[in-house]
Amino acid sequence: MLSVATTCPYCACGCGLYLLANRGELVGVAPSENHPVSQGRLCARGWSAHEAPSWGGRLRTPLIRKNGRSESASWSAAMDMLASEIGRLMHEGKAIGVLGSPRATNEENYLAGKLARAALGTSHLDFCLHSSFRPLMAGLEDVTGAYCGAASLADVEAADAILLMEGDLARAHPRAAYSVMRAVDRGARLITIGCASTQMARLSAVYLPAAPGCSGDVIDGLLGGVVAGGLEDRGSVSAWCDGYEALASALSPAEQTEQLRQAVEWIARANRATFLLAPSGASGEQLRRDAAAVASLAGITGHLDRQGSGIMLLLGRSNLRGACEMGVAAGRLPGYLPLADRSARDRLCSLWGKELAAGTGGDAESFIESVSGLIVVADDPASALPAGRRAQAAMEKMEFLVVLDAFVTAAVEMAHVVLPIASYAETDGTLTSLEGRVQRCRAAADPPGEARAGWQALAELCSRFGLSAPYRSSSEVLAEIGAAVPVYAPAGQAGEGWGGAFVGAVRKPKANVCASGSQPITYAEYPHVLAHEGVIDWGKDPLVAFSPTLNREHRSRARLNPQGLVEISKHDADQLGLRSGWHVRVESTFGDVVLPAVIRPELSAGVLLVPYAFRDHAAAVFAGRDMAAVKVERV
Amino acid sequence: MAETSTRGNDVFLPWIARIEDVRDETPDTKTFTLRFRDPEVMREFEYAPGQFVELSVFGLGEAPFCVASSPTRAGNFQTTVRRTGQLTDALHLLGCGDEVGIRGPFGNGFDVTAAAGKDLLFVAGGIGLPPLRSLIWNILDERSRFGRVTILYGARTPTDLVYKYELKEWERRDDIEFLLTVDRSEPGWEGNVGMVPILFEKTTLRPESTLAYVCGPPIMIKFVVQDLLMRGFRDETVISTLERMMQCGIGKCNHCAIGHRYVCRDGPVFNFRQIRELVE
Amino acid sequence: MAMAQQASAITKAGALEWLGRLMEQAEVIAPVAGFGGDTVFSPLRSPAQIRWDFENPLHPPKQTLLPQTDPIVSIQRDGDCYEVLPIYDESPRVLFNIRSCDVKGIAFLERMHAADPPDASYLRRAERTAAISLSCVAPCASCFCICTDSGPFLRESYDIQLTDLGEDLFVEVGSKKGEALLAGSQDLFRAATEPELERRRELEESARRRFGEETCHFASAMRRISTGRVAEALWAKMSDWCLECGGCNLICPTCYCFSVKDRGSDGRLVRCRMWDSCQYPAFTLEASGHNPREQRKDRMKRRFFHKVSAQYYMRDGAIGCVGCGRCVKVCMGTTDMPAVVAAIRKGSWRG
Repeated sequence: MLSVATTCPYCACGCGLYLLANRGELVGVAPSENHPVSQGRLCARGWSAHEAPSWGGRLRTPLIRKNGRSESASWSAAMDMLASEIGRLMHEGKAIGVLGSPRATNEENYLAGKLARAALGTSHLDFCLHSSFRPLMAGLEDVTGAYCGAASLADVEAADAILLMEGDLARAHPRAAYSVMRAVDRGARLITIGCASTQMARLSAVYLPAAPGCSGDVIDGLLGGVVAGGLEDRGSVSAWCDGYEALASALSPAEQTEQLRQAVEWIARANRATFLLAPSGASGEQLRRDAAAVASLAGITGHLDRQGSGIMLLLGRSNLRGACEMGVAAGRLPGYLPLADRSARDRLCSLWGKELAAGTGGDAESFIESVSGLIVVADDPASALPAGRRAQAAMEKMEFLVVLDAFVTAAVEMAHVVLPIASYAETDGTLTSLEGRVQRCRAAADPPGEARAGWQALAELCSRFGLSAPYRSSSEVLAEIGAAVPVYAPAGQAGEGWGGAFVGAVRKPKANVCASGSQPITYAEYPHVLAHEGVIDWGKDPLVAFSPTLNREHRSRARLNPQGLVEISKHDADQLGLRSGWHVRVESTFGDVVLPAVIRPELSAGVLLVPYAFRDHAAAVFAGRDMAAVKVERV
Repeated sequence: MAETSTRGNDVFLPWIARIEDVRDETPDTKTFTLRFRDPEVMREFEYAPGQFVELSVFGLGEAPFCVASSPTRAGNFQTTVRRTGQLTDALHLLGCGDEVGIRGPFGNGFDVTAAAGKDLLFVAGGIGLPPLRSLIWNILDERSRFGRVTILYGARTPTDLVYKYELKEWERRDDIEFLLTVDRSEPGWEGNVGMVPILFEKTTLRPESTLAYVCGPPIMIKFVVQDLLMRGFRDETVISTLERMMQCGIGKCNHCAIGHRYVCRDGPVFNFRQIRELVE
Repeated sequence: MAMAQQASAITKAGALEWLGRLMEQAEVIAPVAGFGGDTVFSPLRSPAQIRWDFENPLHPPKQTLLPQTDPIVSIQRDGDCYEVLPIYDESPRVLFNIRSCDVKGIAFLERMHAADPPDASYLRRAERTAAISLSCVAPCASCFCICTDSGPFLRESYDIQLTDLGEDLFVEVGSKKGEALLAGSQDLFRAATEPELERRRELEESARRRFGEETCHFASAMRRISTGRVAEALWAKMSDWCLECGGCNLICPTCYCFSVKDRGSDGRLVRCRMWDSCQYPAFTLEASGHNPREQRKDRMKRRFFHKVSAQYYMRDGAIGCVGCGRCVKVCMGTTDMPAVVAAIRKGSWRG
């Protein structure tokens, strides 16, 4: 029995676990009492981390599409075809895009970025889930200059007050939910803003309901309460908050409910307060303003510059932060630095020995429809991008589609060339957690068949396109990452123990505080709000889809609801005389759709949610937006 | 590692059975006639109506299905399967000659001896008919041992009725009373329309001398049992089968446990008094 | 006391020699230093790896007898025909330095798997596995074996029980399997002396006293659970403090729920028994979509009913808890066994 210490590949909390292997087969998971994050605790996903790689639909040989059929091929034949077809497109001056992945290691993402910017000379570089989290990061950046907060899970656990803007924390990030629970159990005040009375909302001292898109109202209410009550931290405000006067005057002196007043007081008077942010189903622009307002609230109450206080972004995938920091993100260089950052460009240019591609490129959602060639590393755009069907259609007519993955996905089925790479359980590398821990994952088994480590495959691709990429191990890639992104240099030197090095995002000397200014979108004739459920669900992620233990529920739901579904509150269901499973017509100004309704008792009245996995079934009503004012009728 | 492999009397080891016949019942339901590959195993395969088998579709695992044929008819056995998941999808793609695995029979089954001399009322909804069909044919094959037999059967639509070919025969028989209804009519349907309990109005119930067997979806069972109790049946004379996610069939895996009972061993047949005592 | 005649002693140096001989006959699994300060059960590579002073590893030795993924049937396709064969793992194994609670846990699993109909896959492996336990002279902070009659020292169920006297180990043999482990190594053991026996008794007494005045609430919780006198509202409240990780089940020495799945492709399949947890929402999900235990509170109630009800006490011969305290350490929420038992006794959750 082999037991290999590694990092959990699911959410971004960064738990440590042992993968157990018996004669080359992954057979189990064991917890680690001394891992600084997990401390012996794992969620259901962590406990099943051995399953997907050994039970899943795995790619064992390279595949080449000939006459519409996929056939096994040798690595060299697949590489030759890839090089010649991509080379042809480049020669013809056609655009090429590269997609990295929040479930790929830093090393894989870094090399995907290097391949795109230096070898292929394209700026069309991104990862699919970026669009769901970018607004939050941008909002923080607007205020603090840093795209990530600095709070740790230990800070959450030790906090006196916690503000949680949630999707559904208990489901999305059990490890973070555990920290919140421990704090609440100790007596901390939990304030939850959301559109459903979820498990965390029920544990809250105060639950502030807000329809999707309306969280800004609540945050502005909190800001207003701080200003009106004179509860701001004067020292912090004068030392490093710009724009406080403007913020104070922008807030209309709205009526303060007792709950709101209480919440304000808890946050303002807390010695340590943490602010947890997750995508809430609001539009990108609104989400950005909401995040900025939360950062401002933390700023004016002194919790941005206080040890033990701070903001935490609840990132949805194990290496979402790493993908950003490796620069496989639209408009960003490694280090998540703006594309225009001269010194970063120069550093990369000398490191890679090649000019970086000019132009800003688009984001994944836009360039997937404009490029002629696409290289996808370990992701499935149709299930990850918000407009899944459009992404699917775009890939179907792609001149040349390359997919590197460990698992069979919808993208693999369409690809012209498929390169089989190792899953997280079969490769060495690093993942960056939401706290900024750069932790190792280690190979516990050999990749199946002819699959190779992702970094090896990407390094070979780089050299096929004229870049020097003579890495002998993933550590050598990490060493180069340290040169490209200086905050990652210590990660390369970190010892073998649990934990790993920390990376942090640099803050501006002064914060620009501002209010959210949300614009509710309901109208008299469209009184309800339809939104995507804030939780980016795991159902179609191969790490869940291929795990016999984890996929049961999702598979059952997808099977029972082939036409999709919409979740409706008990209140609205009673008003309409609905039972679960009956159909409703949901109509916005853009279009309408008939869907089975599922009653979700926790949901606030007036809110209808479409689970992310079923978003395409309601596309006509959303018309490309994140939410819509709708009316609902029974059919 | 020393791994010895011998065919012992292993509780997890399925016997291989071949599909002899496949019959479409409804658009999503088929009846499979199965015969063990080994004639010896076939000869020794004895079961009571209401018992179930764990059927393997190799590569996808096992699932429990009640035996839908009567033990009075030896030589093969049948099971009726609705497509509801990966395993049943795969099973529906199999045809004559294909092999599956069978473990069982498991569970307590209906007590046929206790039914002797009694009037019998069968109430089935949709895919709830197969377990009762086993009992019904058993009784019809030994008709003289039992009192009056009344069969009430309902489905969502006429299309959803299973064993249509046999229903006609039951309708023609004069030694039983057979009534049929559908929730929603379809063109060409001339029979009753409405939920199963409407059939109670069209027959004569004799609660004092009758055992009632009720099978169907949970919601249908709930309403039918309520109705029967209101019409004078006692808890002990209303008999049903519980559906649970049964995986091992031998009371070990715990999926089907209710209270300290295991549906796979202590059930799936319970009378309503026993059901009342089960703590979820 | 019969023990005096049977008891023997061995020096720790002698014990290493003995271990070396055992390793020639069997895979010896013992707590060793794991990664980053962890202690884990792992096959020994050398006798020197053995630890005498350690806190019981979080991942229980149950994994040896009932692995998380356990192949039970091999399925091979030949043309249109399938051949199925049971897979038995009968390699000899010795669990060395496991704790009393885990010995009790293994005894519980043995009873369960031996009950009609016996589970050959488990029993054949168990038959070839012997357990040498090390009694607990210093119980760890989260355990409560004294409440569940499963420690700190054992009176039964063990093959061999060792007690650490400092330089020497006090050795008690409790079964034929235990005797067999000593068979080739009699030269290393000597008869225990009266003072050594006395010392062992003192150590047991002092270990028991270390649990303090703490009273156990299992009896009262059992009465309430068995008779359904725990308010639904209390289950609902408690279940909000559970994150459904399933950890409590997976690390529990007495939990054995499983699912069966086939692994492999086309021609060669292996049917595996896999650990499952009754706390997972889909544990009781039926193919029709119906889920009789859809709500978390019902699943939680189920877990405690199985662990501490009188009905299961009668059926399984013991409560389903050996007081190892692992669920206290592994719980992602705060609904470990002692917390819930205390809440049931008081009729309220946390205050």
